[in-house]
Amino acid sequence: MSQTIDISVTVNHTTYERSVEPRMLLSDFLRHELCLTGTHVGCEHGVCGACTVIFDGQPCRSCLIFAVQADGHEILTIEGLAPIDNLHPLQQSFIEAHGLQCGFCTPGFILTMVPFLERNPHPTEEEIRQAISGNICRCTGYQNIVDAVMLAAEKMSAAQRV
Amino acid sequence: MKIDGEYLFKGPREEVWEIIRDPEVLATALPGTKSLDKVGENEYRGDMNVKVGPVGGLFSGHLLVSNEVPPESLTLTVDGRGSPGFINGSGNVVLTDTGEGTTLMKYDGEVQIGGKLASVGQRLLDTASKSTIRQALDALDMALQARVAAKAEGKAVEYTPPSETQFAAAVAKDMAGQALSSRTLWIIIAIIVIIAVIAAIWISRTHGG
Amino acid sequence: MATKFVGKRVQRNEDPRLLTGQALFVDDVDLAGMLHVAFLRSDYAHARLKSIDISAAQKRPGVVAVYTAEIMGDDCQPGPPLVSPPPTAKNVLFNSRRQVPLVIDKVRHAGETIAAVVAESRYIAEDAVEDIIVDLEPLAAVSDLEKALSPTSARVHEDLDSNLAAHMVQEKGDYASARANADVVIKRRITIDRGAAAAMENRGIVADWDAKNHHLTVWDTTQAPIPIRNGLASRLGLSEHQVRVIAPFLGGGFGPKMMMFYPEEMLIPWISMKLAKPIKWIEDRRENFYATTQERVQIHDVEMALTRDGRILGISDNFLHDTGAFDPYGLTIPLNTQSHAMGAYDVPNFHSELKVVFTNKVISTPIRGAGRPQGIYVVERMLDIAAKELGLDPVEIRKRNFIPPDKFPYEQEIIDQAFSQLIFDSGNYLPVMEKAAKLIGYDQFVREEQPRLRAEGRHAGIGVVSFVETTGVGPYEGARITVQANGKIGVATGVGTQGQGHYTSFAQVVADQLGVDVRDVQLVSGDTAEFHWGTGTFASRGAVVAGNAIHESAKAVRAKILKLASETLGAPEEELELEDGQVRVADIPHQSISLGELASLANPLRGAVEPGSEPGLEATAYFGPKYGATAFGVHAMILEVDVETMMVNIKKYVVVEDCGTILNPMILEGQIHGGVAMGIGNAFYEKLVYDDNAQLLNASLADYLIPSATEVPRIVVGHEETPSPLNSLGTKGAGEAGTIPVPALFAQALENALPEYKLEIVETPLSPNRVFELIQKKEKT
Repeated sequence: MSQTIDISVTVNHTTYERSVEPRMLLSDFLRHELCLTGTHVGCEHGVCGACTVIFDGQPCRSCLIFAVQADGHEILTIEGLAPIDNLHPLQQSFIEAHGLQCGFCTPGFILTMVPFLERNPHPTEEEIRQAISGNICRCTGYQNIVDAVMLAAEKMSAAQRV
Repeated sequence: MKIDGEYLFKGPREEVWEIIRDPEVLATALPGTKSLDKVGENEYRGDMNVKVGPVGGLFSGHLLVSNEVPPESLTLTVDGRGSPGFINGSGNVVLTDTGEGTTLMKYDGEVQIGGKLASVGQRLLDTASKSTIRQALDALDMALQARVAAKAEGKAVEYTPPSETQFAAAVAKDMAGQALSSRTLWIIIAIIVIIAVIAAIWISRTHGG
Repeated sequence: MATKFVGKRVQRNEDPRLLTGQALFVDDVDLAGMLHVAFLRSDYAHARLKSIDISAAQKRPGVVAVYTAEIMGDDCQPGPPLVSPPPTAKNVLFNSRRQVPLVIDKVRHAGETIAAVVAESRYIAEDAVEDIIVDLEPLAAVSDLEKALSPTSARVHEDLDSNLAAHMVQEKGDYASARANADVVIKRRITIDRGAAAAMENRGIVADWDAKNHHLTVWDTTQAPIPIRNGLASRLGLSEHQVRVIAPFLGGGFGPKMMMFYPEEMLIPWISMKLAKPIKWIEDRRENFYATTQERVQIHDVEMALTRDGRILGISDNFLHDTGAFDPYGLTIPLNTQSHAMGAYDVPNFHSELKVVFTNKVISTPIRGAGRPQGIYVVERMLDIAAKELGLDPVEIRKRNFIPPDKFPYEQEIIDQAFSQLIFDSGNYLPVMEKAAKLIGYDQFVREEQPRLRAEGRHAGIGVVSFVETTGVGPYEGARITVQANGKIGVATGVGTQGQGHYTSFAQVVADQLGVDVRDVQLVSGDTAEFHWGTGTFASRGAVVAGNAIHESAKAVRAKILKLASETLGAPEEELELEDGQVRVADIPHQSISLGELASLANPLRGAVEPGSEPGLEATAYFGPKYGATAFGVHAMILEVDVETMMVNIKKYVVVEDCGTILNPMILEGQIHGGVAMGIGNAFYEKLVYDDNAQLLNASLADYLIPSATEVPRIVVGHEETPSPLNSLGTKGAGEAGTIPVPALFAQALENALPEYKLEIVETPLSPNRVFELIQKKEKT
């Protein structure tokens, strides 16, 4: 039988203890071990960004990391960002600006933008486009995603001023 | 994909010919080779681990030698398949005595590649194949020199072929090195020097008279 | 009736779930005891299958079963044709060949499924695939279209005497005499290559055969669950009611997820029945390049005959079309090409001969545009070339040829993809062109800005192209609308959804009719247990056909509401209003009843009912158009080329489209943006690179370049609305409009940006490399 390793991973503020094969990808661990299917797999070779989660505060491609590498670390997936009845300003902005169509790439974009807006609360359009250039969307043509991020930045800085 | 090049062996042509027809030496010169057996007068069968970037796996293949004109030239035809895909093709090898105790090998051929190797490994194939061939020929050259030395001293051949890890590291280093070839490096250094000189002149002009 | 929701930018009902990871996609389905499948696929594009040894794979721990065609036996049958065969006519030849679940004796494209491993996890299944020893005898591969038709070529289907899959000629008027009377005849060879749809979600299927209930449930990334249900039932010897196909949320469709009866789609349900276990197969990205359908090359030999002042007298377009190893989708793509090769123009004479060719590549089926981009590329390029020869402005030559508004409905005298007469229903093209020219600042750019930029040594260019898009094709769709006891409106329809916003745009139609809030309309789509009549989402028909079925059904429910409310409230129907989920007597607000209460009244537990009446407030209606509605649009773009790198920077991009009545402008614009992004990919970044052995050399997103946010510009969208007379909403489709004209636009704008090279671009896609090569070639001559 194949070898398994015991890991302890904190996902969305809950710590999970599991035994996994060393070769299990973090994306598969999140989706099928923990049943957090909001993180989507688009390519499994690190290009499309759909599998992006926040790993110790940084966006990272969960298809390029093994579950064992997450041992002892903290991960935030889309399910952990906000509840459906009290959405994060980014999520709310995506609705208002029509920043999603099929929604498959969307969690990846949102979780890439959460740390981005923390670092750069007043981004220009150019800066946003650069920041999302590692996420592929086949439906929207990106324009409304850029608008959604701008809108979120406005909402978040307004909330700060209050 | 075209494959061609040349290599200078440090040994006489007859020895080179012997080595390249010796399955035991070949098996060690191409690390990753799990087995290489002579199954006919001119036919070999073998298993080999192949890795090109992220794509790798076990290949099983056939090697046929034909058009032999010892010790001058031969044609190799290969047909290998495995989980990473398939490689088949043929090439001509010509050995020339340089008259200085060394042998110049010239090879040229064409291979068809398919499967994962072709579709995912494409951008790495050129570099990887050149590097693999060079590493193999280096290893053969070492074996050649060991054999020549042993014969001269009347001793048994002592020769340690490079390990699979050493080999892989060498190929990887080659591929990274290709990204910044020595010629490019010299050009960059030259540009930096020129900029430094211009900057020095400009500074002296604005500060000077 | 004033619309409260239709025509407005209503936010989408489905978004909150998609944004919080609470939307089900096929790979999210998790059933107890579920097993996983991995496929052994052929590396060779053309080979004879000599033997397969699965013994090592079967012995691997965790492997439950391994299947080959031999094991499947008689159940290994080719899939059904996906469209009706063309009518038998003397100028129509069609050799139908369809794919099989597992290779029986011959591999016909790299990636074809040879064996399937079923195991406890996908990881183990993939390990076991490598245990399988398969002996394939390679054959010469058919890769190049023209060589495929040479008598000495290897044959993809050996029972045919060539690689000709289909042959058809269509004619309008008399091209030969048009040519004889022309002042100018332009003749060119145009090569058009498209690419992969590359939706972000790859394909997948979960099949669950419940042996105790004799019922099969299938979750499938399909745009057409109803035909899949019907076809699977037939193949598996089941009744239609024993099969339920669910297309949940899909991560993009774009064509290849239609009712394809892919090998995996045919096999996975069969395996589930054999093992009486839930079976899951999810495609990975590399498989997507090898095994999901694509659109590839067409080679056109075109002629355009014109008068001195740029009026088109006739077009002749003879072309080859690459269908890949099989042709289950019939002549849809090449017929669309023919339907669009006259563009938006009043062309009196037309001759077109199409030849469909088998090659050893993945099957070619419609990808967003579905043959229309090719036809538009041909006519727009020829017109641009003619404009140069005649010294006419590209916008002007188009204006001179547009079908004038008084000629609609305009009969093209050829048949379309549905084998019915091609008729353009309505249109008013000139205002759209003028709006686009104004929005892009055409005159100002050409007269002032471009000369100024050129003087600075910059290479800026402008392009303006027009296109038509046949949409909203039949046969029909249906919908059932039910007022529920809680006052919410349930809507069920058959079409699947892949991001187009059906949950919202359809809800808007219902909300307006029944006086409820959009948020109170709950749509179920893509589930054959809820609704099982219809075809699917493709050919820009969802809003038109399903939308109108929903409209008809909503009107019928409204009629029932008014009738019952009139009896209940004791007021004549004319005095009743539907608003805020209530039925009120106008001017007597307290005389009202909520829709929920009314629905309960309509479903009594006791008492007598009127014979012939129906319970509840529910109606089902169907809509099938007489023919497809034709939309129109103009794209314009200003770009700048860096002549050192040949990289392109799009400075301004304008789309003005006319797709009739707009249901939700926000959703429509999103479709345009996405379509243009895909068109930009088609024009300048995406290319499937095959070698002479029909091997795909770039089967990953690292090497197949999909545009990112830095390659797609901001797109300005303008609207005109010329309603369609073919349906009561007046809508036309728009799903593919963004994609269709972009390659032609790029060609025009690039030529315009690089005038010193006098380029004549008659191919697509381009790329920085390719533009460089074309310039080098030009400089040598």
